[in-house]
Amino acid sequence: MFHNSSQRKYWIFRSEEELEQMRRKANQKFRNKLLESGKSGVRESMFLERHEEDMLFRYYERRLLDLCNAFKPAMPKSVVGTAIMYFRRFYLNNSIMEYHPRIIMLTCAYLSCKVDEFNVSSAQFVGNLLQETPAGQERVLEQILEYELLLIQQLNFHLVVHNPYRPMEGLLIDLKTRYPALESPESLRKNVDDFLTQAAMTDAGLLFPPSQIALTAILNSASRAGLSMESYLTESLSLKEDKETLLKMYDSMRRMKALLNQYELPKAEEVNVYKQKLERIHAEFTTSSTKRKRGYEEDGHVAKEPRLAEEEWTDEDLL
Amino acid sequence: MFRFQLSLMKLPVYAVAHLCKTDMDDQGCPRCKTTKYRNPSLKLMVNVCGHTLCENCVEMLFVRGSGNCVQCDTPLRKSNFRVQLFEDPTVDKEVEIRKKVLKIYNKRDFDFPSLREYNDYLEQVEDIVYNLTNNIDVENTKLRMEQYQRDNKDLIQRNKAKLTREQEELEELLLLEQQGNEQRRLEALQEEQRQLNAKRKNKQALLDELEQSQLPATILLAQHKARAAQLETQIDQQKQTVKPTNLFSTGIHMRQTVSLQTVPRIEEVLYHYHPLHIETYGPQVPELEQLSRFGYLNHVRAAMPQDTAGGYTSALACHRAIQDAFSGLFPQKG
Repeated sequence: MFHNSSQRKYWIFRSEEELEQMRRKANQKFRNKLLESGKSGVRESMFLERHEEDMLFRYYERRLLDLCNAFKPAMPKSVVGTAIMYFRRFYLNNSIMEYHPRIIMLTCAYLSCKVDEFNVSSAQFVGNLLQETPAGQERVLEQILEYELLLIQQLNFHLVVHNPYRPMEGLLIDLKTRYPALESPESLRKNVDDFLTQAAMTDAGLLFPPSQIALTAILNSASRAGLSMESYLTESLSLKEDKETLLKMYDSMRRMKALLNQYELPKAEEVNVYKQKLERIHAEFTTSSTKRKRGYEEDGHVAKEPRLAEEEWTDEDLL
Repeated sequence: MFRFQLSLMKLPVYAVAHLCKTDMDDQGCPRCKTTKYRNPSLKLMVNVCGHTLCENCVEMLFVRGSGNCVQCDTPLRKSNFRVQLFEDPTVDKEVEIRKKVLKIYNKRDFDFPSLREYNDYLEQVEDIVYNLTNNIDVENTKLRMEQYQRDNKDLIQRNKAKLTREQEELEELLLLEQQGNEQRRLEALQEEQRQLNAKRKNKQALLDELEQSQLPATILLAQHKARAAQLETQIDQQKQTVKPTNLFSTGIHMRQTVSLQTVPRIEEVLYHYHPLHIETYGPQVPELEQLSRFGYLNHVRAAMPQDTAGGYTSALACHRAIQDAFSGLFPQKG
């Protein structure tokens, strides 16, 4: 249940500003780390600004969504929702300059398959990376497994994510049972689904309980169909007397809609520019992952086959 | 007192365990090398230092009443030699030391405000006994004991007096019980004698009558049988009529009013059960059983027959969906 979950306790934040502040801090942390490391050729202009970072984040998030939607066997919605939530939670405290989103997004999807009991084997999982050669898939898998523990740790081991999909079903059942004024709740379903998909791409999941998101989705699509459902709140949920709660709920819904309206698709040309910047930073300064790998091999933990070369795969290979 | 008994009870187990390990001929006098195997009547003695000597050697070495231990040179007195009770002489030594220590450390559990402190005290006592037995830090330990004795002089005296008083009471009780037993035994004996006499008299009477009477023998025999039966029933009756007792087994007289005031009453707040309440931050969810009555189940897919085998009902899925829908639905107040 959501009401006594780690999600409610640790992963619901007060305001949009708080989230922005956390991301800014993560960005700053990475800059400081690199500046203090005293490496040559570190310049302020190399770093991604917050809005650039954000753009890239949204770009990769969309890629994650596309991957999940094209996944075979078909991925349940809750798995997709969980993967996106992991992705958002991870980059709340980490900069994309530190960990490349390309691999983190795959790791998020892989982990959410496990956690949400969507049973695919690891080989099957990387088999969905259609542009990769079998050897390339093997390499990606190795990287996924390498980052998996880091991801779990950064999620603070809070792996259960409550998505708004089941609450949405519950609310529809409740509407059909207690609210005959609404003639065909099923007709709203398509719009509701769209709303929830869009909401997943925003910070809504980090600001509001899933049930509120589901309710907002239903009310929103009802009002788009020209139906008013205010009496459901006042009568069925008996909020007539409780003006304070009612006002607060309307306020939350307004904020949620604003979040969805603010969302803009990443622009291709800008993304390309920032991506080059990101690749440069990763190529030059973040060698930690390869270092870690070498450390493994020296210890004799991983000695499958000598890596042919540090052949970097680009994300053009992925899809 | 109680603790003391416990520790004594533990010792023989230790000794038995030892017995299994050692052979008979291991047990012997270190001085004259006689063993129990060669001389079954060998009597081993032990003194405060925990070293063994046989009775003969003790007689020889301590003719003058005192001397030094052969093995550790501790000055000893002859009068302190005891017959070794346990195979391992250190156990004997420990028993001796424990007796001595407990004479000083004679506090009891009600001398302490809490169980924790009493246990700490017991542990302290065990430490001292252990140290003295194994010759660890003997000087300091002795100093500690003396210090303690000085600090707690009054309490020790008082507890000692209490102990002897209790001991006396116990002995008195035992004596009374013994007397009672003796009396009952005598009574039973007398009773038996009486019955025997009665039977013998009866038999004699039969013989006399057979000799003198004119009646036929069969009638006389029948009469005798009747009398004998009567006697038997009389005896049985006597056995059944038990004398009314006027004492409980605890020694309290019957019909005596015993004051119950001294038993301390413990005033405590009783445990009160509060039903579990979980804040869901949302509207009330109908109970699982109510779902079908309220018509919720008309709007969910019915369970397939093969699903129900594992105990699944459509109400379960419906209930979960509704719970999820209502959990955290209302914004937090304040």
